Amino acid sequence: MARPNEAEWALAADVLRVRLSQLLINEGLKRREFKVPVHLALGHEAIATAVSAAMGTPDALCLTHRNLHYNLARGSSLAAEIAELRLETSGVSGGAMGCMNMINPKAGIPYSSSILGNCLSVSTGVALASTVTRDGSVTFVATGDGAIEEGSFWETLEFHKSFALPAIVVVENNGWAMWTKIDERRCPIDIASAAKAFDAPYVRLAGNDVVAYAETLSRLRDGMTGKPGPVVVEVALSTLGDIHVPVAGGAPRYVNYHHGPAPETTLADWPVLRESDADPVFALTQRFDRDRLQALARSLRAELDPQCR
Amino acid sequence: MSLTYISHINALIRARVERTPKLVCYGQNITAGSCLSGLTRDLKPGPDSRVINTQNSEYTLIGLGFGLMMRGVSGIYFMKQQDFLLFGLDHLVNTWNVVRTLNPSASYTALSIVVDSGYEGPQSRLNNFADFCSMARVQGYAITNHDDAAIVLDRHLVAPGFRLIGVSQRLFRETPLHFDGAAAADPAGTVVRYAGGTDATIVCFNFSLPQGAGLHRALATSRISASLFSAPGMLIDDWSAILADVGRTRRLVILDDSRSSHKTSQQLELAARRAGAADTIVVRERSAADQVFAPNADTFTVDAAGVARELGRKA
Repeated sequence: MARPNEAEWALAADVLRVRLSQLLINEGLKRREFKVPVHLALGHEAIATAVSAAMGTPDALCLTHRNLHYNLARGSSLAAEIAELRLETSGVSGGAMGCMNMINPKAGIPYSSSILGNCLSVSTGVALASTVTRDGSVTFVATGDGAIEEGSFWETLEFHKSFALPAIVVVENNGWAMWTKIDERRCPIDIASAAKAFDAPYVRLAGNDVVAYAETLSRLRDGMTGKPGPVVVEVALSTLGDIHVPVAGGAPRYVNYHHGPAPETTLADWPVLRESDADPVFALTQRFDRDRLQALARSLRAELDPQCR
Repeated sequence: MSLTYISHINALIRARVERTPKLVCYGQNITAGSCLSGLTRDLKPGPDSRVINTQNSEYTLIGLGFGLMMRGVSGIYFMKQQDFLLFGLDHLVNTWNVVRTLNPSASYTALSIVVDSGYEGPQSRLNNFADFCSMARVQGYAITNHDDAAIVLDRHLVAPGFRLIGVSQRLFRETPLHFDGAAAADPAGTVVRYAGGTDATIVCFNFSLPQGAGLHRALATSRISASLFSAPGMLIDDWSAILADVGRTRRLVILDDSRSSHKTSQQLELAARRAGAADTIVVRERSAADQVFAPNADTFTVDAAGVARELGRKA
């Protein structure tokens, strides 16, 4: 693998910044500093960073309640995110949205929704608007494997396809919906086949290689110019911060992290949470020099710590 | 061809759409077949605008309008039946709650047909316009006649923000009531006065203005001179114009043909009682006995003689 260039190091820095920022927010959650419900996205840093890198200036990104990572990746400072969680006017959304609806229109995030599947249908209007304003924008919309159970997922693909709208639908597939695994609740849904049903290109991303993710998404984004129409991107990822819940009379039950503090997750200068490519920070070590990454993480930590006060 | 309620509304909509830039008109069959029974016939887009037939996905289509709005593009979603608005309640409530905080300069109107014409059966008979508005805290306007059509569509079809507009299927083929310029709306456009009187104040809610106008004529033959108002708005904060009139006549008649259990008209009744404005209040609304779910004519009738008798009594 070639030595990473400057742009690739910038991606690595963003992954580390998004991770460290979330770990610092998690410490605040442990101290019960915020009244608004917070959904961390530990383990989602690579896709958020790559989407942000692929977005052009006029592009839009519609999000779910789990949006902290995208807001951070789009340039929101940790201080502004924490201010939003405290409902202060210096927050990302002026203290008016809290966490689940955090938006930053100037950074290309016009909408976030706490209602499952809601942002998908809004994305149809955002994308349709580009055919009126002719601003050349592409609409990215993030959703989860739980939300594809909603009718809006299918309605949205149909609309994007019917009107050849420039849209990239990113399905963050962590295999869980709240505290149940998908296979504990429903039949499998083959997202590739779903895309095929609408004659929409499908791409699967796995391994949390932020450089490869960014290259793929940039290629898809640029391809919208010549051939608009939705693309479905399924991203295999793990939401880190999982916990073991006590069960009366039995062994503790392992559950995936959903919201609130991740009590078993601790803040460290080198913020690897899992020694595998399920962790986007660990995945960086497969492409970047570990010593330099650790130095970069320490430097970022020094910048971020004061923003928590 | 003689002017009908729906052709009049269609003409007003067409004129507004053709001169409005950056506007997307959309909905199922709005440029095909009957064009929603004539509601959207011959719509032509204005500058940098689109008129598009869409799929049958009401939830997404309601959300779509908010997405347009966020990007500075206005939209009108034409809906064949207000029943279908039920699919979009989440967006009416939750999405609008986010978008309204952004004070959007773009316009979004969801214009639907209230299927109040009867004989549809247990379903497709929703006549609860104000309930949508109450739940979403979004203003709605009912169009009942020639004059309020112009008031509502001129002021609200394309204006910053979001609102609902409803039209009555029962009235589609009727010649619209025309008040020869006598209609006067309050500044908010939520209350319209059609005639002044000295003995009673008739106020019509939802789509009951035709019944109110009939009552107005019938009372006149009984030598009861009545003022006539309608309340096209579904959320009304200011009753002062009506209460001032009731203060003079001391007798209030409320007509409401909606099916809601929480009617806008009840708020007027409460306001009048709190203000001590009326000596007599007569209410005509759908009764529990009207809740027949088998196909039926579903008419709303007002017994003018009975109202006249009640107006003769002190409260």
